[in-house]
Amino acid sequence: MYTMEQAIIMKSKCLKVLFALSCLLLVSCGNNDDYQAVAESNNRLAFNVPSNFPPLAQDIEYNYPTEKGFELGRKLFYDGRLSADGTISCSFCHEQGYAFTHHGHDFSHGINDQVGTRNAPAVQNMAFQAEYFYDGASNSLEMLSIVPIHNPVEMAETLETIAVKLQVDKEYVRLFSLAFDGSGVTSGNILKALGQFMTMMVSSNSRYDRYVRNEPGGSLTAQELQGLGLFQAKCATCHKTDLFTDSAFRNNGLPPNPNLNDLGREVVTGFTTDRYKFKVPSLRNVEVTAPYMHDGRFGSLQSVLNFYAGGVLYSSTLDPVLNQNGTLGIPLSQEEKDAISAFLKTLTDTDYINNPLFYYQT
Amino acid sequence: MKFKLQHIVAAMAVATTLVSCNNDDDTTAVSGTGDAEIFFDNSVNGDDLLLNTSAYTNSNGESLKINRLNYIVSNFVLIAEDGTEVVYPKENSYFIINEGANSTTVHLEGMPAGNYTKVRFGLGVDQQRYLQGETAQQSFWDLAAASELTWTWSTGYKFINFEGTFTSPQTDGEKTFQVHQGSNTATDNYREITLTLPNTARVRTDETPSIHLIADANVILDGATKIRLFDALNTANTGAAIMGGQGLIDIANNTLSMFKVDHVHNGAGDHHEE
Repeated sequence: MYTMEQAIIMKSKCLKVLFALSCLLLVSCGNNDDYQAVAESNNRLAFNVPSNFPPLAQDIEYNYPTEKGFELGRKLFYDGRLSADGTISCSFCHEQGYAFTHHGHDFSHGINDQVGTRNAPAVQNMAFQAEYFYDGASNSLEMLSIVPIHNPVEMAETLETIAVKLQVDKEYVRLFSLAFDGSGVTSGNILKALGQFMTMMVSSNSRYDRYVRNEPGGSLTAQELQGLGLFQAKCATCHKTDLFTDSAFRNNGLPPNPNLNDLGREVVTGFTTDRYKFKVPSLRNVEVTAPYMHDGRFGSLQSVLNFYAGGVLYSSTLDPVLNQNGTLGIPLSQEEKDAISAFLKTLTDTDYINNPLFYYQT
Repeated sequence: MKFKLQHIVAAMAVATTLVSCNNDDDTTAVSGTGDAEIFFDNSVNGDDLLLNTSAYTNSNGESLKINRLNYIVSNFVLIAEDGTEVVYPKENSYFIINEGANSTTVHLEGMPAGNYTKVRFGLGVDQQRYLQGETAQQSFWDLAAASELTWTWSTGYKFINFEGTFTSPQTDGEKTFQVHQGSNTATDNYREITLTLPNTARVRTDETPSIHLIADANVILDGATKIRLFDALNTANTGAAIMGGQGLIDIANNTLSMFKVDHVHNGAGDHHEE
């Protein structure tokens, strides 16, 4: 019978032995000052909910970000060793300059140049989301990294193997120990470190944010304000709150690509009522996250708005919001599309996409 | 018998109590802690479960040759005669039953001495604990992965991994089947099961009861709801998979009657040890 308790008992015995040994060392080498690393601090980081944001959707206290946990998570995010052949890091498909999406790719290529079937989503404001991935394959910020790591066309690796690979790297051993109170390179700690890094990835300083918070630099032009009004009237049912998503799964009437026939949410739930439903994406930084839609079929915001204005396809799971009295989609004039487009560009947060905190030189 | 420090300490504590309080006339009360074990005897509709051996025919007329039966049991609670519930520390209360690896016994350590008449446990990982992340699960991931009980395309755990081959009266030839029971972000398929013991399980500092459960794998598909593998065949007609949708909800409800207590051994000896 396997029990974790037995493992923990063994671990605590080891720790006792280590403690005893370290006491001996302290006694015998009282002047030795190279154990400072052990005493390196690992303070909790400040996490502030922006005043215009809804409450957190994840309980971050279970894995609260610390200095060292965050730094370790960032290093892991940029490390190709998280993939089977060492070539694909998280940052390969999630590039900071494009709000952590894969610039210029409708689909990303993973190891051995295999190609996926969905467009890499932006990594931002993660702790404010209750569901992840276009189909809701995860609802836990700590567990979500499992999906791309294990996906055979993405990183094609396992957590257990990553732990084995990193255990031979002295720097990682040191960093895990600092981040997790003397604990080792384990599957759980890998997930936790990545979770801490992603918890801190908050994008909340766009020109729009400054506008709604009445902060300096927060002025919008007449066209942008017109776009904001139109957006609130026509788009905010789904792209709700200042996260610009309601985290729901909806079929927006996008004609299915027959080469993929991606069933969307049904893949996870197994219910045909979820067919062609995909998670409503946030529109933060949307200016830099092209191409658009779950399959990256649209290259511009103009194309997206054209689709909503005239391309919505009826099916039994089409969201009722997009089928008002037999009118499919969202009627929009060209002037209105231009205004909405102008407004959406005020959601670009250059602080976020240039923040050195989220970058790691590999 | 495994000698553990905590047993020795507990025994010494009891001995000290006996020596120092020889006027104590509360002769019926028991004190200290002991262990209990729960043996999951995997079977199929009254027969032994033999992996990769013979086929078992169910009431749907489908014959299943089983090559894997692994599952997660959790959140153990022993319930005493007076109704007192002793909850095994939740962070240590996740166990894997793996028929192929012959890992079929759960050891509960440090339970208060007493007479227990019921046992309750969960099948799978509860949503509350799952959302608390890996810390709360004591890095259970690696153990679960070693028994093919992790889900990676939808993050979480397979509560039951039940696989093999089958034949069906509705189709020719032998097909594979994969039944992966678990929760997803749409449905919570964790269930708790409470069983009444036919005789009292006595936990003492020097007595370890063994609760002998029969787990009937047949019930997974052939329980309150009859689930035909034929209906879950893929379009290529090569194999059946149940990994989502209504099937998981039906299986969760079927498994409520998957376990029965056959008997309880009391005494100092070891029982059913592998």
